Amino acid sequence: MRILLTSTFAACAALWMGAVEPASADTPVTYTNEGRALFRFAVPDFWMLRTGGPREIEDTKLGDARAVARVMGMRPVTDDNVWMGFVSPTGVATIQDGIRYLEDVDKFLVKEPTINSTSNTRIGGLPAQVFRGTGSRDGRGVNFTATVIDLPGNRVVIAIAILRDGADPAYADDLNAVFASFRSLQ
Amino acid sequence: MTRKLIKRSILALGLGAASFTLSACDGVSVGVGYGYDPFYDSMLWNDYYHDVDVDIDVDRPDRPDRPNPPITNPPARPKPPIAKPPARPRPPVARPPAARPPIHRPAPRRR
Repeated sequence: MRILLTSTFAACAALWMGAVEPASADTPVTYTNEGRALFRFAVPDFWMLRTGGPREIEDTKLGDARAVARVMGMRPVTDDNVWMGFVSPTGVATIQDGIRYLEDVDKFLVKEPTINSTSNTRIGGLPAQVFRGTGSRDGRGVNFTATVIDLPGNRVVIAIAILRDGADPAYADDLNAVFASFRSLQ
Repeated sequence: MTRKLIKRSILALGLGAASFTLSACDGVSVGVGYGYDPFYDSMLWNDYYHDVDVDIDVDRPDRPDRPNPPITNPPARPKPPIAKPPARPRPPVARPPAARPPIHRPAPRRR
């Protein structure tokens, strides 16, 4: 009996230790465009990545086809309250253009977006502008962080991180680990 | 002896209940995959290259030219490393034999 209890405690302790391990991102992924590597980042452990690809989508009402660059999206396997996506749109060269691109995307991403803070920073050694804000989606509150990173060679990267209300705040570490792993390959 | 048995069964039941409780902590969405991925789908949509601008923003600079659509005719695919398996000569599962009348009864044992 005593042996059983001790081993149970040991198992529980191991579980809890595992739960508080620091976030790690160990799977490098390279974003390419027409065979050219643009940048790379690491996907956190136990997350899944959707690679996407260049394609054309059409608004059925307007009948207007639009070319869309590759969107890479990822989320934890067990939690769909967290999401992060990268896109490097064609023809968007500067941070200012990137912000305009973002303005055209955010209304599809969240309803009633409110930007709480804007900051200039560096991500992976490159100049970047970060917008933090809130909105709603499917009737639930959403926290978003939209980032425009200026890549060399007349390109930008748009990164959007989403934490829905009720998401484990520890996932912010995973999201920041992705930003920490971001490197330009230009 | 009986007490021991009762103790053991309580322990077994308790462990069973605990395993159910623990499994309930697992996310419900495990393995659901990408059936509904609202943020991904939204990030695809943008009006940036769109000519119909609903926003009335006079000071907006001109939009850049729409990029060329992705290549419509992909180059011929290289031979995949994994070859298709050869056609099976025979299905592995044979048809059951047609029903036949049962074998005749064994003859009574000779003495």
